[in-house]
Amino acid sequence: MRRLTRNFVAICSTLALTAGLAACGSGSDEAGGAGDTIVAETAFNLKTIDPHRQFEFTGSTIDSAIYQTALEFEDGDLTKPTDGLCSFEMSEDSKEMTLTLKDEDAKFSNGDPVTADDIAFSFERLQGIKGNPSFFLDGVKVKKVDDKTVTLTSEEPNPALPYILPNSSIGIVNSKVVKENEGTTDEKDGAEQFLNENSQGSGPYKVEKYDADSQVVLTANEHYNGPEPKYKRVVLRNVSAETQLTDIQSGQAQVAYDLNSDQAKQIDESMGKISSLPSTRSLYIFNNADEKIGGPAADPNFRKAVMAAIDYDKLIDLAGKGSQRMASLVPNEFVGAVPKDEAPERDLEKAKKLLKEAGYDGEKVPFHYSSDQAVNGVDLAQLAETLQAQLKEAGINLDLKPAPSSTQLDGFRSAKQPMGIGTWGADFPDPTNYNVFIPGGDVADRVNWSDDPKLKKLADEAAKAKGDARDAAYAKLFKATTDTAVWIPLVQPVSTVAVGSSIKKFVSNADISFDFAKAE
Amino acid sequence: MAEATTAPLGTDVASASGEADAAQRVKPPKLHPLLRFILIRIGISLILIWGVTVVTFLLTNLVPTDPVAAILGDRAAADPEIVAQTREKLGLDQPLLVQYFTYLGNLLQGDLGVSNQTRTPVLASIGQVFPASIELGIGAILISVILGLLLGLLSALKQNSLVDHAIRTLSLIGISAPTFWIATVAYFVFFFRLRVVPGAGRLDPWITPPPKVTGLYTVDSLLAGQMATFANALGHLILPSCVLALFTIGLLTRFSRSSVLDIIRLDYVTAAKAKGLPARTVVFKYIFRGALVPIITVVGLAFGSLLSGAVLTETVFAWNGLGQYAYRGATTLDLPVIMGVGLVIGIVYILVNFIVDLIYGFVDPRVRVR
Repeated sequence: MRRLTRNFVAICSTLALTAGLAACGSGSDEAGGAGDTIVAETAFNLKTIDPHRQFEFTGSTIDSAIYQTALEFEDGDLTKPTDGLCSFEMSEDSKEMTLTLKDEDAKFSNGDPVTADDIAFSFERLQGIKGNPSFFLDGVKVKKVDDKTVTLTSEEPNPALPYILPNSSIGIVNSKVVKENEGTTDEKDGAEQFLNENSQGSGPYKVEKYDADSQVVLTANEHYNGPEPKYKRVVLRNVSAETQLTDIQSGQAQVAYDLNSDQAKQIDESMGKISSLPSTRSLYIFNNADEKIGGPAADPNFRKAVMAAIDYDKLIDLAGKGSQRMASLVPNEFVGAVPKDEAPERDLEKAKKLLKEAGYDGEKVPFHYSSDQAVNGVDLAQLAETLQAQLKEAGINLDLKPAPSSTQLDGFRSAKQPMGIGTWGADFPDPTNYNVFIPGGDVADRVNWSDDPKLKKLADEAAKAKGDARDAAYAKLFKATTDTAVWIPLVQPVSTVAVGSSIKKFVSNADISFDFAKAE
Repeated sequence: MAEATTAPLGTDVASASGEADAAQRVKPPKLHPLLRFILIRIGISLILIWGVTVVTFLLTNLVPTDPVAAILGDRAAADPEIVAQTREKLGLDQPLLVQYFTYLGNLLQGDLGVSNQTRTPVLASIGQVFPASIELGIGAILISVILGLLLGLLSALKQNSLVDHAIRTLSLIGISAPTFWIATVAYFVFFFRLRVVPGAGRLDPWITPPPKVTGLYTVDSLLAGQMATFANALGHLILPSCVLALFTIGLLTRFSRSSVLDIIRLDYVTAAKAKGLPARTVVFKYIFRGALVPIITVVGLAFGSLLSGAVLTETVFAWNGLGQYAYRGATTLDLPVIMGVGLVIGIVYILVNFIVDLIYGFVDPRVRVR
């Protein structure tokens, strides 16, 4: 028996020794440190890095480092589109934009110069392959005028175009190489796999290894015409938020994208810095305007009662430091945003009075949301439970209906849900992106809200407005939209990026949350 | 006469021998029992695998939601042309039966389809992630078997002692502690605080993986003679393997304890002790061997589950294995991925059970095929 105990101890010691030796060995002499490598971590939401097909956060983060765009945002200010590869000029009626190739030194990663052909091809491919971001250039006619000029012509005034073109989904690709690899400007395009493994951009990096499930490795593009990046290699890894926190504190990673406000608070200054920026996402309650589906939610008085019953300050606490109240679905930093001091306030007495007027007798209202989704660290399940408790104080009974994101999304799009939590991430920072919420728009259709003459009139006026008047006209439109309480804006969360202490200087702004090429 | 006698005799002999030959030709050759057993099991396994394809296909298509919703963004989903094009591209515009037979036809050619989300072939992706799970599973099962069996044996031999109580409590903790929590705490303590193990992932981020032969980084780095990469890969393997092994250690400890206690009271063990055989011989040749059959069943099932169900451990340790791949497929309604993983897991279980059945024969002569 003693022998067995001795054997057991010996085996345990052997296992521990093996572990110890391996752990010591794993310090790695091959690595030689991570001097010119930057390790960034995020929970992957990645389908492709073909710029004209990608429409997710991870793909966009990668493509921002690989592809240059025709226009950019000046120092990340989303209200100031400026020259990128091209300078631009908009016609008086906002129907024609002229792009002039500006930077003749710009070169793709194989050394080929960027030409007007590449710009025209990239726009046409984006439109023709009918991918997720194809709508960016809906109704726009692309024409190469000469070796330096491309025009974009729209049938209707398109003042949003300068705000659309900086999107990384409209990255400029090497048309010659892409065409040689089954790239076309129609649905027959077959270059996606090629572009996933062989990026064709003129940005500071090119792809070295692409694995949509685990990690993407970028290396510096030696032909990039901008300042040479200090970090020659970027490793973007698929890592959960909990592990990101430990990795950023330990120095294993230099950038972590998915920490929520509670996790961000745990980072000591000696271990890393937190860059908090207003998110371009909006969280809201939707109410179905069709009485047969929405039930009580179709009644304007009930909807306004819901709006008055919400404790918005507590929602801000839930979303964390830096999150903001919203007076409409348009983020506060955008043109056309309604000033946040006009955001709805809690008034329980008013809510109860409105419920009486609506004839609501406490029946349960199904309330749908994605139970597996967090938006900038705001857990939607937690948000739904908080709202349920708050509305209960006014006498409103929500029947929580959690579902996985894909199921919830399908239900919402089929316009069969009476109430629930919706999220919207800006496709481009212009108020026209929110026209989908106005009756006649795609998202309004999902709550069966098809007609509102007052809003239609305001929308027509906003479409014709220019300059400062445009800002005011859209703010008026979206204030009126909020007043209907079909959409109840809840909170604009905060986008947090944690940066390890080994990085002394970095650029993080509303346009690009962390610029690998400018990190030092 | 003699010739006459001889001739017919000769004729008779030849004829008899010809008949025997013919009889031998008609009668199928007698297969070795083990080979016959294997062939029958392979036949049954193929039917089971076909059953798995039917079940995974039906269950996947019973989900009351449209996979196109998970693929398209809000704006694209509002464009009927894009929706129709996507549906056609994925074959979702075909009747369910046609979709199934297309899937089955492709499967027979070794094609598991293409991921709806990433457009990468499912077989290639599984080929990428499965070795990671095998490496982790082997690490975990080795630790589990060694510690689980020894602890169970020790616990049974010292029944009702302090050691027994301590081991039973520990095994209960191993079984009941939530893996995700254990993994997070273990990572924080052993990597962040104590720095005795490397961080998440299969290798440090700045190390290039060894040339792929088996897909197991420890094996491939050894084959390539990259000792530093081997040490790094082994270091990365230790903590997730230990965390993953905790449940199985607990399970095996409890199972082997009760199994040994059943055997220890049998007459042949008492007889062996009465004969004055050394304690070591009694323990390992009489008790342990007798208790091994049910333990092998548990080990087999545990290994199958370690290969396919390590989602939480893989998530915390950024271990890109089959579990994570399956989880992503399920949450994004990626039907080809769900079906592909379902099929692979089904095959793994069938294979493991088959191997377990073969091992029974070696361990226990009573169940040997005759």
